[in-house]
Amino acid sequence: MSAGPAGGLSAVAVNMLGVVEHPALGDTPYRVDADGHPYLPAGDGGLVLGVRLGDPVSAVAGDHVAPGACLVHTEPAARYALVSYACIGNPAEVRTGRAAGARGAVIGKRGEDGRVITGFRQEDLARMRPGDQVTVRACGQGWQHPDVPPGVVVMNAGPGLLAALPVAWPGGGPVTVGVRAILPSKLAGNGIGRPAAAWDLDLQLPAGPAADGLPPGTDRVLLGDLVAVTDLDVRHNMGYRKGWLTVGVVVHGTSPLPGHGPGITPILTGPAAALSAVTDVTGHRGLTETVLELQ
Amino acid sequence: MNVTSNARRLVRQILTGEVWPPLGDRHVYRTGPDGQAFALPGMGGMTLGVHCGDPATGYASDHLEPGASVRHCDPGANMALQFLTCVGNAVRIESGPAAGAVGHVIGQHAYVLVDFAAPVAEQVTTGDAVTVTAVGQGLALPGHPAIVVKNCDPGLLAAMPGGTRPDGRLEVHVAARIPAEAVGAGAGMVSEYANTDLMGAYAGLGGDLSLGLEGLRIGDIVAVAGADHRFGRGYRPGFLTIGVISTGQCMLFGHGPGPSSLMSGPEDAFALVDDPDANLAAWLHDETEPGQ
Repeated sequence: MSAGPAGGLSAVAVNMLGVVEHPALGDTPYRVDADGHPYLPAGDGGLVLGVRLGDPVSAVAGDHVAPGACLVHTEPAARYALVSYACIGNPAEVRTGRAAGARGAVIGKRGEDGRVITGFRQEDLARMRPGDQVTVRACGQGWQHPDVPPGVVVMNAGPGLLAALPVAWPGGGPVTVGVRAILPSKLAGNGIGRPAAAWDLDLQLPAGPAADGLPPGTDRVLLGDLVAVTDLDVRHNMGYRKGWLTVGVVVHGTSPLPGHGPGITPILTGPAAALSAVTDVTGHRGLTETVLELQ
Repeated sequence: MNVTSNARRLVRQILTGEVWPPLGDRHVYRTGPDGQAFALPGMGGMTLGVHCGDPATGYASDHLEPGASVRHCDPGANMALQFLTCVGNAVRIESGPAAGAVGHVIGQHAYVLVDFAAPVAEQVTTGDAVTVTAVGQGLALPGHPAIVVKNCDPGLLAAMPGGTRPDGRLEVHVAARIPAEAVGAGAGMVSEYANTDLMGAYAGLGGDLSLGLEGLRIGDIVAVAGADHRFGRGYRPGFLTIGVISTGQCMLFGHGPGPSSLMSGPEDAFALVDDPDANLAAWLHDETEPGQ
C-alpha cells in the first residue's frame, strides 16, 4: 500500500521492532469477574492460536483474547511509540525464529502498557514463539487520508485501509460506514479518558436479559467487525461529546472483568453531520483475513 | 445511618504516608477536549482553598485534588495504603509546623486525599509525614446482603442520614444523580483504588460536552446509574453505586470530578432521597476536632 500526498503532506513510514509478548501474571493466578467469582485469565496478550478474525467475540473462554500475536518492546518508551505509530493494515514481518520471513499485518492495538496485535497465517503463528522479533512498517498515524473530508478525523488506519472497508463518501454528504452495531456511549468501558492513538476502547456488552433493549447487532459482534459508538469523540482522548460518532475495529474478545469487554481500535471520529453509520446485522464484513491478505 | 453492620468486627490498622509532590514531565502540556494545550495544577501536593462543600468545578485546574495528596514511598506499602484507607478515616500530621493536626480522608485518586481545616492546610507541604488510622474495608450490612460496602469508615456510615426502611431497602441521601453516560476514566479499574471520573462537568467549555454536572460539590454523596462497583467498576443495567465526590475540575478529556465508591448494589435495594445537604461537610471536619 502506498501513501500519496494528501492534504499537502505525505505519510512517513517507519520500520519499528516489536517482540512477541509472553503473557505475564502476578503471584496469584486469579482475577475477579463482575459477579465476584475468581477466574484464571487465559489468552490475555501473548501469542494465541486458533482465534481468527470473523470469530464471535465470546467464542473462547479467555480474557481480552486477540487474534494472533501481540507485540511489545522491552523499553517502555519504545513500546509506547510502537503502539502509537502502528496502524491497522501496516505490514509486519517476522525477523527471527522458525517463522522468520513470515508476513502478516497489524490488526489493532491495546492500551495501558501497550500492545500491537498482529495477524499472521495460522501455520506461521504455530512456528512463532514469545521473544521472536517482528518488524512493523508503521505508516498512517496523523496523516490526512485522501477522500475523507476535513471534518472527519482518521486514526490508527494504514494507507489504503479505508478503501478496503465499508467506508464511503457518497455525493459530498457525510462519510458513511457500514457497521455491525451502533452502540450508546454508556457501554464504553476501559479506555474512556485515554488516548485513542495508543489505547483501545473496551465495550461493555451485557449478555443475556441485560442485553434486552440494546441496539441490533450487539449480540452478533465478530472480531474484525466495525462498530460505531454514539456521543463519543476520540480526537483528544476518548470522551463524551453529544452529537459525535466514533467507528472502530473490534480487535480483541470479551473479558470477565467488570468495565471491560471486546475492544475497538478507533479509526474514524467526527460530528454526526460529517460521519454516519449504517447497521448491517447479518451481512456486515469489516476487517477480514482477506483484507489483510492473511489467507 | 440507622442500619445494622459488622462495624465492631473491623480492625483498625495504623498506616503511614507522606504528602506526595505533584508530578510532571519535560513536555509540560496535556490536551483538553477541543485540542487546547494546558498546564494546570491540581494533582499532588497540598492543594489549598477547596474543601468539602465547595464547588467541584470552576477552577483553573486539572484533576483537582482538594487538600493533601498522600502516598507511601514503598510500592507495596503504597498499595496497602491506597486499598485499606477509607473515606472518613482520621489522618494525623506527624511532621512540620502542622504536626498534631487531624483531618479526614475524603477519597482516593491514586493518592489518598485528606481534607484539613484551612488554617492547618496552609502549614502543610510536600514531604510532611502523616498517620492514617485505617478502618472500614470489610464493612458489611447483614440486613442488606445485595449491597457491597467499600472504602467507608464505620463512623461515616453512622453519621450519614437514612438507614434500613420498613420495606427492607436502604435509604441513602444523595446530593446528585449521575447518568451512566457520565462515567469516564476509571471504568474497568478496581473499586478500592482511585475514583471514577465523571464527564459532562467541564465548566466553561462547550454545551456539547455537558451532562449537567457542573453543580457538583466536593464531598457530595452521589448515585451513579448503571454502575456496579461491587468487584471492580463496570456498567450493569439495574445497578447503582453510591459515591462521594473526592476530586474536582478537569481539563483532560474523558476525565472530570470523581466519586470514590462507597456502596454498590441493585437499584431496588436502595431508596434514594434527594438531599442537597448530603455532603461530607455536614458530617466531618468539625472545627473543634482535635489538633485545631
